[in-house]
Amino acid sequence: MTKDLNMFPEARIPFGTWGSSYFPAWQSSPLAEVNIGQFAGEGMALIMSKRKVPIRVLDYLVVGSTVPWHYKFWNATVVASCTGHRMPGHHLEQACATGLQAIVAAGAQVQSGSSEAAGVLTFDRTSDSPVGVFPERRAYRRTEVISDVWDNFGFDPSTENAMIASAGNVARKYKVDRAEIDDMVAFRYQQYFQGKESGFIQRVAVPMEVLNMQGKSMGTIADDIGVKKISLQALHAMRELETGVTGGSQTHAADGMATMLVTNKEMAKQLSTRPEIDIRFVAKAEVRVHASCMPEAPAAAVQKLLSKTGLSMNDMAVVKDHNPFAVNDAVFAKVFGYDWHKMNNNGCPLVWGHPQGPTLTRVTIEALEEAADLGGGYVLIFGCAAGDVGIAAVFKVS
Amino acid sequence: MTSNSQKIHAMRQPTLQSLGLGSVLEIFQNGHMPLQTAELVDEVFGPEGQRGAMVISGASGIVGAGKVMQFASRLQPYGIPIIALDLPGAPDGLAQQYKGLQASFGPKAAADIMQYVVRINYDGSSLPAALHQYNPKFLLEAIPENLALKRAHYELFRNAFPGIHIWSVTSGFPSSELGVGIAHPAFPHEINKIFEIVEENPSPQTRLLWSLGLIPLKVSDNWSFVLDVFFCGLLQACLHFCHRTNTPYWKVDKYIRKVLGPNPFRAHDVIGAKGANFLTWSCLHHLSLHYGPLYRPENQLEIRKESGQNWYPLNHFRPLVNWTLDPETEAELNTIVMGALYQMTSLMVHEHRAQPAVMNLIGEVCAQFTRGILAHCRQAGPHGVRQQVAQFHKLLPEAALSPWYPQVFDQMDSPEWQQLYVNAEHNGQVGTITIARESYNRDVDAELNRAIDWLNKQGIKSVIVTGDFHLSTQMVGADTNEFFPAIVQAEEGIRIAATWSATARRLHTEFDVSVGFIHGKRCMGGMLELLMHCHYLIAPSSVSFAMPEVTLPVLPGMEGCHWALRKCPESLRINVLHMLLTGKAVKASETVGWLLDVSGTMDQCLLKAWEIANKGAKAQAPRPFVETGFAMNSLEWAALEPTTDPALQGAREAIAACIDGACAVGLEQALPLQAKYSGEFMTTQLCRRGRVGSERDKIVNV
Repeated sequence: MTKDLNMFPEARIPFGTWGSSYFPAWQSSPLAEVNIGQFAGEGMALIMSKRKVPIRVLDYLVVGSTVPWHYKFWNATVVASCTGHRMPGHHLEQACATGLQAIVAAGAQVQSGSSEAAGVLTFDRTSDSPVGVFPERRAYRRTEVISDVWDNFGFDPSTENAMIASAGNVARKYKVDRAEIDDMVAFRYQQYFQGKESGFIQRVAVPMEVLNMQGKSMGTIADDIGVKKISLQALHAMRELETGVTGGSQTHAADGMATMLVTNKEMAKQLSTRPEIDIRFVAKAEVRVHASCMPEAPAAAVQKLLSKTGLSMNDMAVVKDHNPFAVNDAVFAKVFGYDWHKMNNNGCPLVWGHPQGPTLTRVTIEALEEAADLGGGYVLIFGCAAGDVGIAAVFKVS
Repeated sequence: MTSNSQKIHAMRQPTLQSLGLGSVLEIFQNGHMPLQTAELVDEVFGPEGQRGAMVISGASGIVGAGKVMQFASRLQPYGIPIIALDLPGAPDGLAQQYKGLQASFGPKAAADIMQYVVRINYDGSSLPAALHQYNPKFLLEAIPENLALKRAHYELFRNAFPGIHIWSVTSGFPSSELGVGIAHPAFPHEINKIFEIVEENPSPQTRLLWSLGLIPLKVSDNWSFVLDVFFCGLLQACLHFCHRTNTPYWKVDKYIRKVLGPNPFRAHDVIGAKGANFLTWSCLHHLSLHYGPLYRPENQLEIRKESGQNWYPLNHFRPLVNWTLDPETEAELNTIVMGALYQMTSLMVHEHRAQPAVMNLIGEVCAQFTRGILAHCRQAGPHGVRQQVAQFHKLLPEAALSPWYPQVFDQMDSPEWQQLYVNAEHNGQVGTITIARESYNRDVDAELNRAIDWLNKQGIKSVIVTGDFHLSTQMVGADTNEFFPAIVQAEEGIRIAATWSATARRLHTEFDVSVGFIHGKRCMGGMLELLMHCHYLIAPSSVSFAMPEVTLPVLPGMEGCHWALRKCPESLRINVLHMLLTGKAVKASETVGWLLDVSGTMDQCLLKAWEIANKGAKAQAPRPFVETGFAMNSLEWAALEPTTDPALQGAREAIAACIDGACAVGLEQALPLQAKYSGEFMTTQLCRRGRVGSERDKIVNV
């Protein structure tokens, strides 16, 4: 440990002042029909109420989302209004890195002294995603119509490849074994359902009843709808879509929101449900790897992070990642010689889905909860993002 | 209370006395109303031929426009011009009111009324010459809530029209600061009859208001009057809760509506957030200067008084995420809201801001409370109130720095507190029971029983049961909020019907002579059932009667299904059946002989009621009353036009079954039987899907 272990010495994440909605799968719930920015704002107020945090203690809001939503032009301000508190803020996005970037941005906001208490609110609705019509003089039709979620998943304009192709490339590069992938996926589902059965998921995710225009209930989002137990046999039987990728070993599109707070030290003690727990920002790293090799980017980011901090994987109490492909975890395990059984306890995006903006926020919240259960320690969060990017960060819970 | 000069004894002081109008018993004793409108019009505006005008300044605003319509419609028969004065650029509030005027009076009468409304513009700093030709006698000022502006406005009028009587509609500035009288009205201004009046002695203008059928209520001179302490204080308490818990305003409204009745946030938006937010802020701001932090306007109110922003989300942001308060948070809401209201009430009682019955009524009629706050205090008891406020101070320690007078609640056993809705008077021979609430509920029932007990103890055997000629101008029936628990539990419905019927029977059995006297616009449903238990029923010919239960539907539960039929000649029973099975209203003059015993002019009715009360059968024989069972076949005998509305048909059949069943048995068996019919009907799908059931779903299922 030779490097600075305190990225934002003044910033803290007050334990327990966080939560997410459940993440229903694409088109499977009333969330498919809502303005997700509004939902997130109202949902944040509800979650903070349950955590006994008056929303008015916040003086800034970092909002993260990747799929355009109605009134996005007004970004954080309109979402803040939906929380019931007119605070300033800004919007940021970086595909699936959005959640972690938003947390770091809030940390920087507090560290700079600009804010005492900044909210992080990330959300996305992949269902019914908007369709953009772009003038494009170089195209045959002079106009391109793009369905924001699916057309972008299917075409990286820098490489002309689909996301899934990057998983295949990396699986081949690292000689990932299909049988190991299936075993891993089966284990990840087992971890998630253990998290549900133990009540862990319920500590993080808050059920939310969605109302229609008339104020009538459209249903309560009280589960990660669409996530079902799956057998190893069923996984073995699945057709391979790319090397190492089946319907079971890749994530699914989903809708949802996740929120947390970043405050200064004094306020963290006031707001935390367990003030004796201290959560600090340690460090962050980002890398961009070769074209169409996205699933190896997270491991590269972690390598950079460890080298920067002088920490090793043995120092980590909790390891959790955004893993849209099981290949991500397999490659990570190979690079570090790390037992993948030890990471992603209680669930991960491979199982509970991929609503982009809030994905890494929920990962972080679950990881911090787990670390507190374990009595503290370093928490390693990492993941990939569109453009062959890897991002990683370490927090310390003590 | 005893009035020695007239030897009239009363359980508590009649509110009429605060207007210098004596007691209700005296009205009957004298055989006429205490005031004649025409005489008061002469006194206030000058005799015919030399009549002056009424000026309403700020006439385009929400208060001014409403009051222009209200006074114009009432003063038109006397040819009084209403000068609607405002700035030329003010949005046209009068035009917005005109639709309502047409709906109430019809296009012809509305146009006639408007002929007496004269619109005049002015620049705010000088009065136009045209005003002089109307000879203004009475100014009702409704300009913006700015002390300096108002004072300058009065100066302007006093200089131009020496001797003009000036009232301000201010909700917050005391008369002592303004230098004029106060007549603070309540929303909706075009129809709400209440005015909080601040003046030493009742002026001719105040008496004129009463004579015109409006409701002037004497309150003391303070920063913010009774209504606004409740109205603004409730919003303030809700804001405290919202800010502690993030609960959205619209959801808090739903919980408050369930517990208390009002929608404090919605009310501000409906009145017009821009003006209402400012007024609420202004009242709270001035209250906080005098009474401390409990009243200090919350930050959101500070912001919204500037922005005029609505409390409810905009249409494109109608709420998406529902909120359900857990029991602990709901208890916190209850503690904050009730604690704050109890503490504020203690201040107002301590300062004698109004008679308890008046204070209680203001909350109900002007601030939408289902039951007045004093009735809530009474239910909680002195210890309960203290406990609630103590809990409130634990949650909001700052509030404890504001005045809190728990000792005022030790007076709860006094008649002033015990008889908020029902009063009784007597002169040693004849008594009156007056009901000052438009709808019958558990409080009225309990107070009515206490009033009967009191008259019994005083040895009074003859009684007139009536409205109070002041706070209540009509009797609309049972308070359907009381039925909500009965919708899911037949036993509760049966209990209510049996209990209230037993009270009503006391009017029949515990007096030698009882006279039901209706003086308001209408008497319907449960109130009519109550009064028909009297040996005699009397009403001026303009009064309307109806049993609208069939339209809700519910079954009449206070013996309406058999009592009137037992007093009705067989040949006229079809009239009672039609009333019960159609729900249509009937004028008093058409009901003599089968529902009423006497109708006529007000004075004739007053005289006759007094005569009967004193002489009983010697003045007029009561209609025969059949106590034994008799056969009815209601549906067939009523021979109504068939209806295509299945709900109406179902309700008719249920009421007919109740009529036939209750009439077929003797008087003793009829009470529990009709209570059973009534209670059991409330749990049927027909009732649950009807108005009462729907209202319950909306209010109770938060």
